[in-house]
Amino acid sequence: MKGLLIKDFMLMKNMKNSMLMIMVIAVGMAGYLKDLTFIMVYLAFLGTTYTSTTISYDEFDNGYSFMFSLPVTRKGYVLEKYAFGLILSGGGWLIGAILATIMGRIRNVGSVTDSVMAALIIMPIPIILLAIMLPFHLKYGGEKGRIVMICVVGGLMLAGVLGTKLAERLHINFDVIMENLSELNAGAVMAGAMGIGMVLLVISCNISIAIMKKKEY
Amino acid sequence: MLKMENVRKTYGTFSLECSLEILPGRITGLIGQNGAGKSTTFKLALGVTLPDSGTITVMGRNIRDFGTKEKQAWGVVLSDSGFSGYLTIRDIIPILENLYEKFDKSFFQEQIKKFGLPDNKKIKEFSSGMKAKLKVIAAVSHHAKLLILDEPTAGLDVVARDELLEILREFMEGDEERAILISSHISGDLETLCDDVYMIHEGKIILHEETDVLLSEYGLIKADEVQYGAMDKRYLIRSKKENFGYTCLTDQKQYYMENYPKLAIEKGCIDSVIMMMIRGEAV
Repeated sequence: MKGLLIKDFMLMKNMKNSMLMIMVIAVGMAGYLKDLTFIMVYLAFLGTTYTSTTISYDEFDNGYSFMFSLPVTRKGYVLEKYAFGLILSGGGWLIGAILATIMGRIRNVGSVTDSVMAALIIMPIPIILLAIMLPFHLKYGGEKGRIVMICVVGGLMLAGVLGTKLAERLHINFDVIMENLSELNAGAVMAGAMGIGMVLLVISCNISIAIMKKKEY
Repeated sequence: MLKMENVRKTYGTFSLECSLEILPGRITGLIGQNGAGKSTTFKLALGVTLPDSGTITVMGRNIRDFGTKEKQAWGVVLSDSGFSGYLTIRDIIPILENLYEKFDKSFFQEQIKKFGLPDNKKIKEFSSGMKAKLKVIAAVSHHAKLLILDEPTAGLDVVARDELLEILREFMEGDEERAILISSHISGDLETLCDDVYMIHEGKIILHEETDVLLSEYGLIKADEVQYGAMDKRYLIRSKKENFGYTCLTDQKQYYMENYPKLAIEKGCIDSVIMMMIRGEAV
């Protein structure tokens, strides 16, 4: 796995210009945005995007045929991609959290505790995103995978809108539910969200392994 | 080292049926036209494609059970696939160091220098010859037991080809248990390098022969209608109708030279044998 991780980090050198630009944008946004939590989500999300870009690099020019002739198994490859995705999106999240905290102090927006709490609440988001994204990318490839992902996200949003409309018709009050949730212990909610994220990630990883094992090159 | 027994694989209208064996201490060639099934055979041997039926064993282990440890023991070159073009040789070194337990960094760097490959240029900017050299150097740099080389000399000039073939000879001299399976469009490379060759056509192995036997005992007989009619045809493998009469392929050249001194008989070579095996008719 170490060799593959090194390969992915080496490939990321090709993206250093875009990464630098993203960091400049992130710092710029942190300078005027009211809600600094967006920076954390933004950087964590980009971490997952870069992970999918390395999949595109891997599949380019029939790359998988050669890769699986190296001492790399399909399962090992999938595990490495999840590990790489966690490192990148975790790294993005951490940089975002530090940036938001520092800029929050400089601009006197919210307290350090607020920033830390926000960071912890956001933490499961990139994990869930990785869990959804990676099987699609491995199944359909980098380019097609992106299109399928857009369709899935669009479908989920549509389902959300339809769900809300349906709830309105059934007279379900979301405000009451949210109020009840906020009364729960914040730590328990975060732990629950992380737990759900990790379970999803394990399920997703197993699906990805099955996808890769079925593929022929 | 490598054994494929009654392996079948079907892709749409193309069907491969293959049995072959690569023995320790030997270099075995696989030759055939484009689309004959060479690359499919390689992909099956490597387990990147799985057969519909039949068994493939590499170093005594079923290819389906091959893991990272087993893959340490082979070195692979594929004609249509390699390291990401976005990497440089300098990037590849730590990757190989961490993938292979026995990666010989100093040997690798020595060969890179010897072949004049730039270590800080992206591979996608390499010429096809440079890419081919890099693939072979990487394949022989971790003390492999078996090399599986699909068109390793593609795109190389005569001098570079000779240098690469020399690397392969040195690889074989390093350990008498080593073996190589190699395919090439350039039959001259296989004639000088291989101990035996398999010929593949339309997904089927049509001939397996020792290279020495093929070069010394196979021959092409040029005969007119009368000579052909009077010939003993027991040792003819293929014959082909020509303007002047017939061209025949035999694996008993000496017999016809002694018994039919007036016949024009040419020495066999891989190109002429494969041409007759494909174009000729069984006698």
